[in-house]
Amino acid sequence: MADEMDVDRDGDKETTSKPEKMFTLKKWNLVAMWSWDVECDTCAICRVQVMDACLRCQSENKQDDCVVVWGDCNHSFHNCCMSLWVKQNNRCPLCQQEWVVQRIGK
Amino acid sequence: MSLKPRRVDFESVWERLLETIKGVITCGQVARSTWNDRFSDVYKLCTALPEPLGDRLYLETKAFLELHVKSTHFKIMENEQDLLAAYHRHWEEYCRGAGYLNQLYGYLNTTFIKKLKFTDADLNYGGFAVEMTDHMLEIGELALDIWRKHMIEPLRHNLMTLLLHEIAGDRTGQSVNQAVVHGVINSLVDVENYKKKMAMQLYEEMFETPFLKETGDFYRSEASRLKSDCTCSEYMEKVIQRLDMENLRSCKFLHPSSYDKVMQECQQRMVADHLQFLHGECHEMVQQEKRKDLTHMYQLLKPIQGGLGVLIQDIEEHIKHTGLEAVRSLKTDSVPANFVESVLEVHSHFSDLIQKVFGNDQQFVGALDKACAAVINYKLNPKLPCKSPELLAKYCDILLKKSSKGISESEMDDRLTRCITVFKYLDDKDIFQRFYSRMLAKRLIYAQSASMDAEEAMINRLKQACGYEFTNKLHRMFTDMSVSNDHNTSFQNYLQSKRVDLGITFSILVLQAGAWPIGGTTVPSFSLPQELEHTVRTFDGFYGDKFSGRKLTWMHSFCYGELKFNHLKKPYFVTMSSYHMAILLAFNQSEILTVQDMVTATGMPEKELVKQVQALSETKIIMPEEGEVTPDTKVSLNMSYSNKRTKFKISVAMPTRDTPQEVESTHAAVDEDRKMFLQAAIVRIMKARKVLKHNLLIQEVITQSMSRFHPSVSMIKKCIETLIDKQYLERTANSPDEYSYIA
Repeated sequence: MADEMDVDRDGDKETTSKPEKMFTLKKWNLVAMWSWDVECDTCAICRVQVMDACLRCQSENKQDDCVVVWGDCNHSFHNCCMSLWVKQNNRCPLCQQEWVVQRIGK
Repeated sequence: MSLKPRRVDFESVWERLLETIKGVITCGQVARSTWNDRFSDVYKLCTALPEPLGDRLYLETKAFLELHVKSTHFKIMENEQDLLAAYHRHWEEYCRGAGYLNQLYGYLNTTFIKKLKFTDADLNYGGFAVEMTDHMLEIGELALDIWRKHMIEPLRHNLMTLLLHEIAGDRTGQSVNQAVVHGVINSLVDVENYKKKMAMQLYEEMFETPFLKETGDFYRSEASRLKSDCTCSEYMEKVIQRLDMENLRSCKFLHPSSYDKVMQECQQRMVADHLQFLHGECHEMVQQEKRKDLTHMYQLLKPIQGGLGVLIQDIEEHIKHTGLEAVRSLKTDSVPANFVESVLEVHSHFSDLIQKVFGNDQQFVGALDKACAAVINYKLNPKLPCKSPELLAKYCDILLKKSSKGISESEMDDRLTRCITVFKYLDDKDIFQRFYSRMLAKRLIYAQSASMDAEEAMINRLKQACGYEFTNKLHRMFTDMSVSNDHNTSFQNYLQSKRVDLGITFSILVLQAGAWPIGGTTVPSFSLPQELEHTVRTFDGFYGDKFSGRKLTWMHSFCYGELKFNHLKKPYFVTMSSYHMAILLAFNQSEILTVQDMVTATGMPEKELVKQVQALSETKIIMPEEGEVTPDTKVSLNMSYSNKRTKFKISVAMPTRDTPQEVESTHAAVDEDRKMFLQAAIVRIMKARKVLKHNLLIQEVITQSMSRFHPSVSMIKKCIETLIDKQYLERTANSPDEYSYIA
């Protein structure tokens, strides 16, 4: 197995003469996955996973703008779903507490 | 001259008039002044006092014309040896004369006769007998009618025999007076041309029908003669020649309304009557791809109702056979490139054939499509899912990877475009998508793509072929890459502004969960080496400043880094996975470690760690004690390790490409997706229809999912069951095979 990888840069910057460890770290490529920091993966209003855009944004091709909102009760929904919801009823659909925005994802 | 009606002596006026009429009808000399006088004579007669004399004029004229035509008939009959020419000459003269006469009688026509004529509506809907024998005709029409009655009817048999004889002569290559034959034939049309209904009746009855019969007889015997002395390919060539000639002959002699009928008759006798013979030859011609013969065959069979069916089927069979032969001759787990390229070769070979031989006839293109779909979706082992989507995805992977050196950008573009050709035939497009996205993910994460432009172009092609939804996730993966690039730049700036030196070259990819086909599998626990913790924490802080509400999960199995080996004679720079890095970094504490020590240092579960240790020991960098690896096994560094290269990589622990488990899990994931897709489709349909029969529902679900995959009926049934359990649907009470939607 000799898969090619990006090894063009030479990491040999260390010129100090301090006693070297047997292994020194030169380069690191980290892969991370981000997701909304939510308790429930699904938006209770539109039944779509919060990581995906809500249906309205999917159909209008605005996936990138579809973020998540957290209330004081720590429940989370798509921001656009919730902003439609509060027009009718200013309570969290899950716990019926009054809806106060704690933070909006970005 | 006064227009006032007055008394007129019919006899004397008619005498004058008759003289002129004789001149007119034989196209003789008539002075202009005489013409004018006679014209007003007609007027005078029609307006005469006390009684208009129009009726009498009409009858006298009719009697004269009858007499004239009868005498002409005698004259023609005298010319027995050249009856056609004589007839033609007289007809031409009479026809022109009748035209003039009609003008001369203009007043009579407009005032006297129009009143008696029927309107179109009367003719069409009035229910009169169409030809009322006694009704009055315009003079021109009257003249033609008389010609028909007193000339054509008596000559009918003679004319017909002579005409057929002439044309038969033309067929056998004798010279024929074309103008005469054409003129005579057309006289049959012209003489009845004024009629509103059934104007072609005389022509059709008297000439066309016997002519077609004669033509049919002629070509029937011609065909059997040709068939007995020629091979099929010669036969077709001759028939095409005959058809062309006969078409030309029609144009030479006949009225345009007959052209198609003649063609049809000839085709019937020479092609349709011998359909079995021709069809019998198709198979072999197709097998040997005799292009010339096939071109002829197509040309002959195309106009025949149901003539092409056998040929189309033979072509389809042949393509399928050739294709399967090509696919089967590959080794079972063949190289993807061979598969794709041999399928493409078959496809392009036959598209060329169909274009050149069959003029891209839709029916043949359809046959090609059907055959290709059958070849591409052929299962070597009917129990296993079809390999083709996987092979095609792999082929794309090979093309898009850096390793495919030596092909130019335009060639790569070309090949990828051709991949789409194959892709369109795939039944299981969703399986392809799974494999493709997996491979794309690896190419992107390990920076193996030869060209980002090519990657993007390919995704756009797939989007074009299969729609936005199909490539949605691929697009999101692509966006993540460019967003991550921006992160790296701004992170470097962030470090500079904070005057932090991480001591290593660091880069990061931040991927959006859900869009990538990784991460679903459970990641073994792992604690970062101390050397890296600082870096990770710094980045976490940076990311938290930039975004809110997001959490990051480290995908250690996809991380890799470069270590410098200082313990050997010369320094080595080795690229390896994070797991291996952590294991080796632990040796900074001590040259010999037990497996248990390493578990403590790396935080990995023992089972996973043992796997990694085994992989590393294969490279000879570390050496575990002999025997089975247990927690107490001591592992030491190989201090005399050497390698020709000072820069290399250990890629064993990188997820090797497409292990059988991966393939299996891909198929399992696809199955899951399909169930969801089908359930969604069922609910959509039922929501719209409320109540639907079982068979109709199945039918509609299949139609909706065709563009992605071909669902099995049993799978759809299972999905319906699931939905009934979930109370989306219920069986209706009165009918066992009907469902209704529960709102």
